[in-house]
Amino acid sequence: MASLPQPIADLIGTLSRLPGIGPRSAERLALHLVQSDASEVKQLAETLVNARERVQTCSICGSLTEQSPCTMCSDPRRDAALICLVERPTDIISIEKSGTFRGKYHVLGGKISPLNGVDPEDLRIGELESRLTTEPIKEIVIALGTDVEGDATSNYLAKRLARPGLRITRIAHGLPAGSGLEFADELTLTHALAGRREME
Amino acid sequence: MHLAHLRLRDFRNYPRLDVDFAPGFHVLLGDNAQGKTNILEAIYLMATLRSFRGVGGSQMVRHGQKGYFVGGKAVGQGEHEIKMYWSTAERKLSLDNQPVRKLGDYFGALRVVIFCTEDLQLVKGPSRARRRFIDLLLSQTYPSYLPLLQRYAQALRSRNALLKQRTPDDAALESFSNELVKLGNEIIRMRVELIPKLSPLARLAYRRISNDAEELRLEYQPSVKKDFVVELAQSRRREQTYRSTLIGPHRDEILLQLNDRSAAQFGSEGQKRTLAIALKMAQAEYLTGIHGSAPILLIDDVMGELDVKRRSGLLPLLERAHHTRGQVFMTCTEENWPRELGRDLQRWEVKAGALKKL
Ligand SMILES: Nc1ncnc2c1ncn2[C@@H]1O[C@H](COP(=O)(O)OP(=O)(O)OP(=O)(O)O)[C@@H](O)[C@H]1O
Ligand SMILES: [Mg+2]
Ligand SMILES: [Zn+2]
Repeated sequence: MASLPQPIADLIGTLSRLPGIGPRSAERLALHLVQSDASEVKQLAETLVNARERVQTCSICGSLTEQSPCTMCSDPRRDAALICLVERPTDIISIEKSGTFRGKYHVLGGKISPLNGVDPEDLRIGELESRLTTEPIKEIVIALGTDVEGDATSNYLAKRLARPGLRITRIAHGLPAGSGLEFADELTLTHALAGRREME
Repeated sequence: MHLAHLRLRDFRNYPRLDVDFAPGFHVLLGDNAQGKTNILEAIYLMATLRSFRGVGGSQMVRHGQKGYFVGGKAVGQGEHEIKMYWSTAERKLSLDNQPVRKLGDYFGALRVVIFCTEDLQLVKGPSRARRRFIDLLLSQTYPSYLPLLQRYAQALRSRNALLKQRTPDDAALESFSNELVKLGNEIIRMRVELIPKLSPLARLAYRRISNDAEELRLEYQPSVKKDFVVELAQSRRREQTYRSTLIGPHRDEILLQLNDRSAAQFGSEGQKRTLAIALKMAQAEYLTGIHGSAPILLIDDVMGELDVKRRSGLLPLLERAHHTRGQVFMTCTEENWPRELGRDLQRWEVKAGALKKL
């Protein structure tokens, strides 16, 4: 069989670097794209660039937003005394869907993961510490996944963030072990937020 | 409990096999290299999701094929339909036509105990072999044990990765130590509970098979003597040298002694074999006690290695297992099958990847 033209091979290589796209899907997508209408492909490229250019992370909470600070950080109706600490921006969407949380957010950007070379310094902990000095925060609800790294990170944060007058709680249950928040359905999340527990 | 149906597709030397098994004692007869052990391997695989030969999935795919399928119907308290498919690109496991999401829920659908020549490692091998034996038994009896063990392994790997860093963050290390201790203590607690229940069963089985020749002692020797937190802290200095976690249930030992001497060091080959079989008998008895029905016994090439006396000690135990509507599968060649076995045997001829009822 003749080998693929170089531009197609390059496209496959680029696509297969995307999360969740294996070599097979990359090939299928690439072959689809090079046979599509040129105008459609151009529009797709523009949409991609556009989305990338218009979306940034909020300078305060770290969520994805068009303008920084984001609408949640600048919403006066949200309880500024209450912060929910999540791993990724997408976790905010799951919690917002459950409709039970009226405070603000902070995105950690990961968990402490020695096996993947993620140290505490790689996370947005410093940013949270400075928020504690500038915002009237009374309680932090830690809503990290309940796998080992999530547990250890929560543990670590409870100690590092501890200061007089600040409650640190953790979502007590309802999150499936070994997965992030994104697998939790709305019902278990509502349940979990109601049942949060003080961390010792 | 019994396996009522077995289905294989491109598994080892079986292109396709569909066979019904009644409860009772099945003897798989055949020349060497015909596929007798492969049948036991498939049944064991459904029960534990691993090969007792310690190999990965690709070795079990029939040469030149893409993937294997192993399925079966297990009949115990209820009926369960198991289906597993493995290829390098894809793995599927379903129980009663539902994809299995938590392994803890899966174990228990089919419970087996295997007797094979590799069992000798239980006595001769490193402590890892004995821990694995205990871990399998606990996984077969408590759905929460396997997830616990996996979490512990994850905490341990993370902690070791931290210890390998040039200057580990003390606070991060402490948070993983907390996890390790919390999970480790739970594992230790379950092992501490199990061993005194298993020990008398193993002693009794050993006595029966060996006709009271020696006295077996089985003892749990946890790596943590009293307080995991304290001992882990005390090992910090040594951890800095070795850069890994030196204390915890991953270092536990199960001591095996015959007449108060280490079986591994001083036992004869025959004694070691008898001991390995006694441990497996104890596993089967324990599972029977807990679940109210006997596990399926898979016996591969074990008979030929025992002298007549020990064989006559073992056979009644096996026969008893199948009287309680259990099931036994035993492989034999024409030369070495135990003719002293009872009449109600179900005999199968295994030839070049096919089964025929005799
Ligand atoms: N992946 C595979 N694909 C095809 N054939 C295989 C595969 N793995 C093993 N075999 C074949 O299976 C046969 C061995 O089967 P098995 O180990 O069950 O033999 P057995 O009947 O137990 O023999 P023995 O009495 O010597 O123990 C051999 O012929 C071997 O070539
Ligand atoms: Mg064999
Ligand atoms: Zn924001």
